[in-house]
Amino acid sequence: MSLILDNMPLFLRGLLATLQIGVVTLIASTIIGFILGTLAVTRSRLLRLVVRGYVELLRAVPLIVNIFFIFFGAPLFGLQLTPYAAAVIGLSLWGGANGAEIVRGGLLGVPRHQAQSARALGMTEPEIFIQILLPQAMRAIIPAFAGLLTLLVQSTTLGALVGVPEFLQISRLVVERTTVMQGIDPAFQVYAFVLVIYFLLCSTLSFASRWLESVLAARGGSRKTGTAKSLLPETVS
Amino acid sequence: MDFDPAYLAKQLPALWRGLLVTIEVSAIAMLIAFALGVFGATIRYLRIPFLSPLLWFYVEFMRNTPLLVQMFFIVFGLPALGLTLPLFWAGVVSLALWAAAFHIESLRGGLATVGKDLHEAGTALGLGKWQFLALVGLPLGLRVALPSMLNTCVSLLKNSAMLQAIGLMELTFVAVDKMAMDFRMLEMFSVLLVVYVALVFLLSAAANWLEYVLQRPFRI
Repeated sequence: MSLILDNMPLFLRGLLATLQIGVVTLIASTIIGFILGTLAVTRSRLLRLVVRGYVELLRAVPLIVNIFFIFFGAPLFGLQLTPYAAAVIGLSLWGGANGAEIVRGGLLGVPRHQAQSARALGMTEPEIFIQILLPQAMRAIIPAFAGLLTLLVQSTTLGALVGVPEFLQISRLVVERTTVMQGIDPAFQVYAFVLVIYFLLCSTLSFASRWLESVLAARGGSRKTGTAKSLLPETVS
Repeated sequence: MDFDPAYLAKQLPALWRGLLVTIEVSAIAMLIAFALGVFGATIRYLRIPFLSPLLWFYVEFMRNTPLLVQMFFIVFGLPALGLTLPLFWAGVVSLALWAAAFHIESLRGGLATVGKDLHEAGTALGLGKWQFLALVGLPLGLRVALPSMLNTCVSLLKNSAMLQAIGLMELTFVAVDKMAMDFRMLEMFSVLLVVYVALVFLLSAAANWLEYVLQRPFRI
C-alpha cells in the first residue's frame, strides 16, 4: 500500500493522461460519428456504401492492430507520429466508426412520419434535419455516446503498447522500477490497484450513461427512443 | 516502400504458426467461456444465495475494467500468489474469464425472457427446478441469448491480438516481431488485415448459420 502512496503523483499523472485521451478521442469520435452517421442516411447509395465499408472494416480489425498500423505504418506515408498522436488517431477512427453507427441508429429511430409531415409543411431538407430529426434523435444518441466514452477510456490502455504514458503504462514503469531498485515484484498490488481504479471510473461512467438514458426517455414521454445504444459494441475489441 | 511478395512468402511459415496459436487460444477460450457462461447464468437464474450477488459483481467488474489490465494481472500479478500459468494457458484463462462475464449477462437476459406461464406449465407437468431449466429454460433462453453470445465470441477472437502484449506468439506478435526486425510494414499489415477480416467473416458466417439452424423448430 505504501508503494502505491509513494508513487501516487506518477499514478495521478497517468490517470490524467488516460482521462485526457478519453475526452479528446470522444470529441473526435463525435465529430467523425456525426458526419459519417448523417452520410449513412442520405439517399446516395454510394455514400451509404462508403460509410458501411468504413464501419465494417474498423469493426473487423482488432483495435490494437489498428493502433499498431497507425503508429508503425505512418512512416510509410512519410509521417512520423508520436505514440500519443498514434493512439489518439487510432482510437478516434475506431470511436468514429461506432459513433457513426450510433448516429445512424438514432436518426433511423425517428419515425418516418416526422420528416414527411415537416416536408408537407414546406420545410426544406436542412431545416427538417436540424429542427425535426436531430433533436429527436439526440435522445437516443446522447446516452449511447456516454457509453462510448466508457469504452474509449477502457481502450486507452492499448496506448500503453505503443508507449503512451497513460495509467497502465505508468503502472508498468512503477512495477519495473520497484523490481529493479528494491528487488521485490509488486505486480500483484499495482495491477490490482489499476483494476480497482478502472472499475470505479468506468462503472461511474456506465451508471451515468444509464441515468442519462432514463432521464431522456422520461422526458420523451412513453414513445420509444430508438435503439442507438444497442448498436454500440458491448466491449472494446 | 514496395510490396515484396517474395519477402512475404518467406515469412509465411512463421505467420502460419502464429495464426494457429491465435485460433487455438481463441477456440479453447470460447469453449471454456461458454461453459462458464451457462454455469454462471444458471446460478443467477436460480438466485442461489451469496453466489448470485457475487456473480453479479463479477460481471460488473469484468465489464468495467480493460481486458489488457486483466491480462497483466493474471500474467504478472497472480504469480505472487503462487499461481503461475504457462503463457498459453494464461492467455486462455484471461480471455475465457473475460468473455464468460459477457456470456453470463447475455444468457441471464435470455433466461429472463422465458415466461412465467411456461414455468407454471412446467411445474404442472411435474418438472423440478433443474429439469425445467435443462429441458425448457436453457434451450429457449440460449436461442434468445445466442446472437449477443456469438458477438462476444467474435470480440474474443479479435481481442486475442492483445495477447501480443504478454508475449504469446500469436499472429499479431509474429507480425509485429517481423516488423521490428525487417521494417517491412506493408507486407505484415496486409497479412494482419486480410487474416483478421477473414477470420471475423468466417466466424460471423458460422454464427449466422448456427442461429438459422437453431431457429428451425420455430419456422413454419
